[in-house]
Amino acid sequence: MNVIETSSGKSHTVEIDPVEDGDYKTLRKSRFFFDWKQEKAHEVYKLQLSGTSEILGLISLENIPEEWRVHIRLLTVSKGNRGKEKQFDRIAGNLIAYAAKIAIKEYAEYACVSLRPKSHIAQHYIDKYNMKLTGMTLSIEVPEILDLINHYDHEK
Amino acid sequence: MKSKTNKDHIADAEYGLDSRYNSKKERASEAASLMEARLMRMKNLSKEHIIRAKLMQLKLKMEAYIEQPMYDDQNHFADFLKVYVDTIYSTRNHFAQDINITPIRLSQVINNHRDPKDEFIMKLMIHSEKVFENICSFHKEIWYEVYFHEKLCDTMSRQEEWRPKLEKDVKLSTVID
Repeated sequence: MNVIETSSGKSHTVEIDPVEDGDYKTLRKSRFFFDWKQEKAHEVYKLQLSGTSEILGLISLENIPEEWRVHIRLLTVSKGNRGKEKQFDRIAGNLIAYAAKIAIKEYAEYACVSLRPKSHIAQHYIDKYNMKLTGMTLSIEVPEILDLINHYDHEK
Repeated sequence: MKSKTNKDHIADAEYGLDSRYNSKKERASEAASLMEARLMRMKNLSKEHIIRAKLMQLKLKMEAYIEQPMYDDQNHFADFLKVYVDTIYSTRNHFAQDINITPIRLSQVINNHRDPKDEFIMKLMIHSEKVFENICSFHKEIWYEVYFHEKLCDTMSRQEEWRPKLEKDVKLSTVID
């Protein structure tokens, strides 16, 4: 998986790993929008450039086996990577693709990744990630979820 | 103070996405509608898409397996092979024909009655390289990695059985300071 440096177009390899206890004190609300300590009971993952400790994005997930679904609870890029002035592109996409990999690994053809954004930003996720809208929930399933994984898996 | 335009909101759509449900009731209602819609969509899934999803699942499970030591009684290589063959072929004999081995030899490996020979794993490597070409990225050496990872985990987990006997046979005639 990789991110693109917007100023140079250069590609950088990234790693996505579980957030460790020691990380939480560095995850300030001013930089990562939420109080991530409140998510400790859930699966929380961080995205970092390979070989660095700087966290560029975070995602919190809830695995729901009885529905063959992985629900994205919280997602954010770091403050320096928001909007037009972002340093790196594809951070959120990689994190969503990571959730998709977990869903496929667990549920194969039944896999589903869902999220429930506020209505005014739902269209962004529909357009960018090919998600489908059901009620207030957006979801991505087979076959689109396979395309999403392949798109963000830089080896393909 | 200016209010944010819709464009600003979209630019920030990936900064601070709160997707939590407000209540259990809301969650249950959304889950029911979503499941209903998904089941309808699943009816239209082609056999090809199902096979693709299963093969990607297999690849991700193999990758996860070799990333961590796993001391259990399962036959991982044989189990992964079984899933691979049964996902792609209607009968195992067809796979045996395709890689030019006897059905008996395939059965022995799948049922863990015989270790796969190098040639078997090499043929499997070539076969899966072709199968995964249009599905997802795939490290062809992963079959070897799974096989040796399982051997290593198995050997290390059974130290109490083999070590006492073998330690008697091992001497250090030269002392290294």
